[in-house]
Amino acid sequence: MTETVDLVVIGGGIIGCSVVQHAAQLLPPSTRILLLERGPVAGATSGSCMGHLMVTPDTPQDYAFTRTSLDLWGELQQQEGGFDHNPTGALYLADADEDLELLPTLLEQFRANGATAEVLDGRQLREVEPGLAEDLPGGLYYPGDGVVLPMLACGAMLRVAQRANPNVVVRPGCAVIGFERDGDRITGVRSERGTIRCENVVNATGVWAPDLAELAGQARLPIYPRAGNLAITGHHVSPIRTQLLEVSYLRFAHGAATVDPTRTDDDVGGHAVNMQPQTNGGCLIGSTRQFRGMDKTINHALLRRSLSRAQRYVPAVATAPIVRTWVGLRPYAIDKHPLIGPWPQLRGLWIAAGHEGLGISLAPITGRLLAQQLAGLAPAIDHTPYLPARFAR
Amino acid sequence: MNARILEADVGVVGAGPGGMAAARRLAAAGLQVVVLDEGQRAGGQIFRQLPVGASGHDRIAEPPSHEHGHRLIEHFERAGMDRRHGASVWDARPGRLWFEQGGESWLLRCQKIVLAPGAYDRVVPFPGWTLPGVMTAGALQVMVRGFGVVPGRRALVVGSGPLLLPTVASLVSAGVQVVAALEASSRWRALRALPAVIGNGARRREALWYAKKLLLAGVRLRWGWTVFGCEGDGRVQRAVIGKVDRAGRPRRDTARAIDVDVVGAGFGLVPSVELGLHLGCASRHDAARGGHHLVVDDAQRTSVAGVFAAGEICGIGGAEVAMAEGELAAAAVLHELRGAPIDAALRRAVAAERRAADAMLAAFAPMPGLHELASPDTIVCRCEDVTAQRARAAAALHGSSLRAVKMGCRAGMGPCQARICGPSLQAIANARPDEVMDRPIVQVPLKVVRSETIVDAPRD
Repeated sequence: MTETVDLVVIGGGIIGCSVVQHAAQLLPPSTRILLLERGPVAGATSGSCMGHLMVTPDTPQDYAFTRTSLDLWGELQQQEGGFDHNPTGALYLADADEDLELLPTLLEQFRANGATAEVLDGRQLREVEPGLAEDLPGGLYYPGDGVVLPMLACGAMLRVAQRANPNVVVRPGCAVIGFERDGDRITGVRSERGTIRCENVVNATGVWAPDLAELAGQARLPIYPRAGNLAITGHHVSPIRTQLLEVSYLRFAHGAATVDPTRTDDDVGGHAVNMQPQTNGGCLIGSTRQFRGMDKTINHALLRRSLSRAQRYVPAVATAPIVRTWVGLRPYAIDKHPLIGPWPQLRGLWIAAGHEGLGISLAPITGRLLAQQLAGLAPAIDHTPYLPARFAR
Repeated sequence: MNARILEADVGVVGAGPGGMAAARRLAAAGLQVVVLDEGQRAGGQIFRQLPVGASGHDRIAEPPSHEHGHRLIEHFERAGMDRRHGASVWDARPGRLWFEQGGESWLLRCQKIVLAPGAYDRVVPFPGWTLPGVMTAGALQVMVRGFGVVPGRRALVVGSGPLLLPTVASLVSAGVQVVAALEASSRWRALRALPAVIGNGARRREALWYAKKLLLAGVRLRWGWTVFGCEGDGRVQRAVIGKVDRAGRPRRDTARAIDVDVVGAGFGLVPSVELGLHLGCASRHDAARGGHHLVVDDAQRTSVAGVFAAGEICGIGGAEVAMAEGELAAAAVLHELRGAPIDAALRRAVAAERRAADAMLAAFAPMPGLHELASPDTIVCRCEDVTAQRARAAAALHGSSLRAVKMGCRAGMGPCQARICGPSLQAIANARPDEVMDRPIVQVPLKVVRSETIVDAPRD
């Protein structure tokens, strides 16, 4: 049986769901949109990650990218809700005096973008977050960050899509096994349940995006799984109400340090703890950074380090019940920018992948930018840094 | 910090009938044995003892099989070994068991592991099952037999399988009026269990003891009935009961209300397989044996070298099976460590007890139609407050697998990690009552432990 649609989105994680949502909202309602997901919707990275909505102020472009996306998160909450959206704000915590030097730089970055943030001393920190250790020297509070529960957000995006466009079909448990081509353009997708004729296909498969590119006869995309170990506490024991992160994070996360994804030693990229309050009163504790392929076994040394760092900042964590630990895989792009847009070497093939640890924050803007390009509309922000063409040969 | 590391020849997980039988035999042979048990005293769920210093035990009548259990406890407690109660095993690999005890983080290094962690109550959600006063048959037994608490005055006991009788007997002994005892299986289906009961002396004596107990208390067991729902203001005050068809589907036209203040629901047991699955042991699904259970060979060896299993983890079978399997597992460990031959009589005993148990449990295999008791707003996951309706919406959007249902509504992701809701979650979410559940998703810690237990865990 052959079916025909206008747009196939491959990958039912947060990025694929956002692409479906924004395509459904921006393209005519007659557009037939099909989401294909090999496993469950939100069954891989988006069901294994933290839900920090993070504004990164490093450059005006970074700020516009993340801030616009967080505004779109706010809109989704208004439209649909149901995914534990919580505007917690964020505290960047210094452990020792040498970390304090990072705070003015960060403050200046927020201010340069017209955002409010403040540097706090130890006493002021505990006014915001009473459970913090008494010997913390200081930190920075930025009120604009938030928290969502990503797996439920995937569902919210798809519900919005199905309301905006009755021709949206979600098909979990259906893997893509090949592509149909006519010269340099895509004409269809072969799935486990038959061939689907279509002119446009979006590769939103995160850490599997290189495999899917290869399946389409293209070069592997430079995206590498970067593992994180996570832990979650029981309910109603969360000793925090704000998103917490170590400020030393800035020394190696996102654009900072150069890392080599072919190295698999434990210390590559460094680690900083990140703690997130859940609406059920639980506390999510992450997260480490490690390149070791698709291996999802817990690295006990790193997990211990995360938990012990968490206890250092919030002493009550020591006796908090841990109900589950696991590993999630971030799709790390080699130049630390996601790939959003057309793939120039095969017409009809689009990419939305490679967000590393910012996939949840950036999902709405990613879906919006891709849908705007599909629809031939002006992009919400400058989209050129994210065009996948930079990796085309 | 002191390195809290134990060394032993054998680590036994669980001090119920299977674990006690294995540990006692191993210790008697001169091996160094450490037993890790979650309970505060030996006996497991079935031979549960009152806490030290508590009173009231005398009032609770016990069936003949419990004499056997008490003898085993006596022998077990006299044998020379390291018995650790209140110990939760949260991580493992062959030869290593990490556990938390008294807030401290420990590691047991051992050559062989015997798994006898027992089972959980199978929960079948029905409207009102989360009201105070409604509990599993197992929880009711813990209250009455474990703590000497009288939970109410007018009790309803519902469910399916041989565990209904001890629940009724405990309540009657504690002075509670059992206003109805409802077995969902039909009398005709239950007749299939008859040869297994008549043909086995211990089981025959047991059945007669319960029959007399119920007769004297004026409690009549109704076959083919169950609870349709519970109601009440702040706690259970009324129950709606009625007949079910052969698949367990409620026949709504037979519904009637009765006044009760405590309800015990025991729809059988589910093997506690997490530790075995985490160790990599092969498993299979058998509905009559409670669902997913470990596969063992004719000497209780799992598919993982050095890991043995006994009792409910190998499929629900009851205390007699567990004791026989515990003895055999011990003999197999002795064979591997000491070269001692395995007595063929032990193998024959296990085979005979399993045959009898399987024949009996076949009459009470979980009835898929009972999943239709849940109404759209019935809670299916009480950790995360997820209703049947939300679970169904999750399955519709995210997919039909257990993981998909969890991802779509957060069911099974709370403190119980789907141990309670898991066995019925997928069937209810997909509105496919006959659905075979996916294997449980197992993640460390296998039991909830403190963060510092993980941080301080001794390295292997």
